[in-house]
Amino acid sequence: MPSLDAEQSRLADLLARSALGDRAAFGQVYAATRSKLFAVSLRIVRERPLAEEVLQDSFVSIWNHAADYAQAKSAPSTWMTAIVRNRSLDVLRRPREEADIDESLTANLVDETASPPRSLEERDTAHSLRECLGELDAPARQSIALAFYHGLSHSELAGHLQRPLGTVKTHIRRGLLRLRECLERGAATAAVRS
Amino acid sequence: MRLARDTLHALAAEYVVGTLRGRARRRLEAMARADRDVAAIVERWEAELTPLAERVSPVEPPARVWGAIEARIAAPRSAAGSSADAFWRTFGMLAAGLASVLVVAFLWLSPQREAEPVFVAVLTASDAVPRMVVSMHAGNEMRIRVVKPWQGTEGKSLELWALAKNGAPRSLGLVGNEHDTLLRVSASDARLLAANALAVSLEPRGGSPSGQPTGPVLCSGSIAATRKT
Repeated sequence: MPSLDAEQSRLADLLARSALGDRAAFGQVYAATRSKLFAVSLRIVRERPLAEEVLQDSFVSIWNHAADYAQAKSAPSTWMTAIVRNRSLDVLRRPREEADIDESLTANLVDETASPPRSLEERDTAHSLRECLGELDAPARQSIALAFYHGLSHSELAGHLQRPLGTVKTHIRRGLLRLRECLERGAATAAVRS
Repeated sequence: MRLARDTLHALAAEYVVGTLRGRARRRLEAMARADRDVAAIVERWEAELTPLAERVSPVEPPARVWGAIEARIAAPRSAAGSSADAFWRTFGMLAAGLASVLVVAFLWLSPQREAEPVFVAVLTASDAVPRMVVSMHAGNEMRIRVVKPWQGTEGKSLELWALAKNGAPRSLGLVGNEHDTLLRVSASDARLLAANALAVSLEPRGGSPSGQPTGPVLCSGSIAATRKT
């Protein structure tokens, strides 16, 4: 099994070739990432037909903007995941039924077992992010996780958590502010730019 | 007009987490397109948080998804023609691309209400890069800011068009390629009241001889109201 670093540089190379119109290379990008990205979307939109649409639109967008990846500072999979997450959030309009919330994921935003860190450098970053998430109080961490993994809006969160809307908004806002402060404290060691 | 850095961080973080929705989400995207610093803040939050999203168990999508993607990327990435048909073909293509991308007001929470435009349109090229920002201000003043000029337009003119859902494009005047332009036009002008988007086409020097666009569309974008009028 290739290392995750090698996988990321292979993806970056395939994206560069896609930018030049190489459809075979793009097919390999799809083959390597489709199941993770489909899962990311499915968690947010929750309906398979909608997640299929999101995946389709996202990959057309990735094809059209493959040249832009060269300027992105993030790993190729992060760049593509952001595109899929944004597209998923864009198609969410109506309030949804309470369903299928994966409590094990949301209970612990800092789950280390699901996927190992990619490289030494990312391990440092992930470590500091993990520490910072650990500093948040439980309601803030839970609210942020539910929104992040399941695409819950402020009002859906309020319903799910049975807390007033204003309280939920405050938890998220304060939590993210603390997260930023914590990450910036760690910036001296972990090359985090502002 | 810039938001305070803390506010930008708060908005960018909620954008990446996903709780920033609807018009507020569109606004932040437009701001990030127009302002490198805003984009950098969003990218930073994405770099921090998005890798967490990859920690989900994979789910295999059905094979038809790739079939549909292949069909959609079979066409060339961009097209430029010289007929009126090409104008509409290009605009249609842009409009489709725009749906997932963009456009709206990038000015908000302004402390100076009177300085706020009546509407804004971010005009992007077929590669989704913003090229011009049009803002309509009170006092019959339309400002066209050049974000990124075109090469090779010497001897030609750029013409701004109001696009209505029904009916032909209507010219609003010529605009500069290297410099910003001020056009005297009222927000309640019939051409604008009927319009839902703006586009810029490349025309012979002095503008289209026919009163309709004859050259390729360089950029286009939807009109977004920034406040109730």
